[in-house]
Amino acid sequence: MSLSLHPLIVLLFFPGGLFLLGSGMFYEWIDRKLVARYQNRLGPRWFQPLADVVKLLAKEEIIPQGVHPGLFIILPVIALASALTAALYTPLLGLQPYYSFQGDLIVTLYLLSVMTLSLGLAGANSINRFSLVGATRTITQLFSYEAPFMLALLGPAIAAGTWRIAGINEFAGQSLWMILTQPIGFIVALIGLMGKLELPPFDAPEAETEIVAGALTEYSGRGFALFRIGKNVELVVGLTLVSAFYLGGLMNPLEFVLKTLGLLLVMAGLQSLFARLRIDQTVGLWWRMGTLVALLQLLAIVIGRALPGLF
Amino acid sequence: MEAKEPKKFIVPIGPQHPALKEPGHFEFSVDGEIVTGASIRLGYVHRGIEKGTEQRNWIQNIYLLERVCGICSHVHAMAYTLGVEKLAGVTAPPRAQAIRELVAELERIHSHMLWLGVAAHEGGFDTLFMYSWRDREVVMDLLESLTGNRVHYSTNVLGGVKIDVTPELADTIRKGCDFLEERLQHYLRVVTTDETFLARTRGVGPMTLEQAELLGAVGPTARASGVTRDIRIDAPYASYAEFPVTVVTDNGGDLTARFVVRIKELFESCRVIRQILDNMPESELVAKVPRRIPAGETISRVEAPRGELFYYIKSGGGDRPERVKSRTPSLCNWSTISTVAVGHKLADMPMLLAGIDPCFSCNDRMIQIRRKGHEDQLWTWEQLRRYGIEYYR
Repeated sequence: MSLSLHPLIVLLFFPGGLFLLGSGMFYEWIDRKLVARYQNRLGPRWFQPLADVVKLLAKEEIIPQGVHPGLFIILPVIALASALTAALYTPLLGLQPYYSFQGDLIVTLYLLSVMTLSLGLAGANSINRFSLVGATRTITQLFSYEAPFMLALLGPAIAAGTWRIAGINEFAGQSLWMILTQPIGFIVALIGLMGKLELPPFDAPEAETEIVAGALTEYSGRGFALFRIGKNVELVVGLTLVSAFYLGGLMNPLEFVLKTLGLLLVMAGLQSLFARLRIDQTVGLWWRMGTLVALLQLLAIVIGRALPGLF
Repeated sequence: MEAKEPKKFIVPIGPQHPALKEPGHFEFSVDGEIVTGASIRLGYVHRGIEKGTEQRNWIQNIYLLERVCGICSHVHAMAYTLGVEKLAGVTAPPRAQAIRELVAELERIHSHMLWLGVAAHEGGFDTLFMYSWRDREVVMDLLESLTGNRVHYSTNVLGGVKIDVTPELADTIRKGCDFLEERLQHYLRVVTTDETFLARTRGVGPMTLEQAELLGAVGPTARASGVTRDIRIDAPYASYAEFPVTVVTDNGGDLTARFVVRIKELFESCRVIRQILDNMPESELVAKVPRRIPAGETISRVEAPRGELFYYIKSGGGDRPERVKSRTPSLCNWSTISTVAVGHKLADMPMLLAGIDPCFSCNDRMIQIRRKGHEDQLWTWEQLRRYGIEYYR
């Protein structure tokens, strides 16, 4: 399904801009509500994420001593912009991506990493000790989940024979759900997404009982709000990618809503099941387990595709 | 060129920090994520309660001392009243002693479950935190229906207790204990089998039996290192001689052992609560205690949820004490942290801190250090007031 809209509308309202912000907050609310219900709490009301953002935007932004003010202001903007841009290549709401070219999968993954990089830089920019430790952990975590996450998303790409997200989405819609054919890849992708979003149990970079708020300790007001929105958008984009690749493609809005929310349900469950991993445990988990099994999976796919040609 | 000492990177935790529910200051010097040194500074919540007791009469002090700690309020009042009764040569009637033990054990359940939640939260396991606090509400309700209060039970009076246990109440408590035991079995299974949780607790902060003895650790912290010391058994007070508990120890010495010891202690508490309810002695609730306590001094020791609680009480024969000194268990356990912290990851610190179940407000005392060549820093009220005004000008 595809619509033809004016580029400005695409960027500002739908599917970019307002729609993304709105859905980001909506998914954040679902996530918080689900985790709360799993934990036997009531959870926030539906407008709580919006209220948080409004409150943060209304607050004074304090630029602390010792930071580079330019970087301090521009980093949240870059983070949000890259997350928003990444969304343009993904089949949001089950519609055709608005911009699509061979290899846009790599671009999207890169743009999603820019978000984390900005977070790390924002922490390293500060002289606050909690921020510095948080930044180190953020970047360490980036290096640990990025490779397996990428490999897990390459699996479907190789199976589909294209590195175009729209192409993979179409292929996934026509063939057997790839969660069945590549179960390991799905698990690695899902957990990698949780690592990317720094959700529990991978929330060591922002472990409040150790380092307050990690890299974002010094952020308040607008900058903090932008980072939060950026993360929400990343949540939507990440869910879209994983469910498009592994849950049989996203062909219409209904499919989109059902599949991404189903995935979020599982993710919220995983968030409430475990104790927080230490950063060394996270790195160990990803490099000893995640990367290896993702590589094995990839190898199996490559062999599986090459074998019919050989005989 | 002389080698420069590498500059230490110090991560401060506190006085205000999300990991701390009460103010205390901890400085961890770290090399990357590895902690190379730890220092502890207390004294942010000094309230002058010991001095305050000298201004109040024997009865008023029960209320004041109960407010030393918001979690183990009953044991403070119990230690004090037991001490004063000893000075006055009065023994509370058996039923009163049994009720004291009953409330103390219910309080232990509430305190350990609170700790379980806090420790899980420090390790980022919020689900366990929420569940254990939800179930803790059951014992809070029991305490409320028994004493009328959720926090400061004010059960004790000099010479006895002011509440009684009716048969209906006893049934409610039995039912509550059934429920709690079932839930605690579940939590015991979680803390001993959950892989991610064990990864955060197993082998973390190991303390050997020798270290525990040397550092003077008390309570569950020491018992998790194999120290068989429990005031309830070593020097029975209230009705612990009639309704004894057995000591729970573990030889692990690490955080897992502390979780296991504390949870297992609660099974023991539930058992002894049932025993008390089934064999409640019949007697008066209060014995008469004179308004003026004969001159003398005494000590009174009880086993608080966190370990040995020690009271020293001195009477000059008047209607108010001359000196009341309390030594709370958290104070004894602090040194274990600074010793075992070195070499651990920064991420382990909050759990290690929580591992001794610290209570800050109850262990802040004024300490006067006398050094040679320095005059005593004894200030009058007027000097102190002027200092305060100058400081904030």
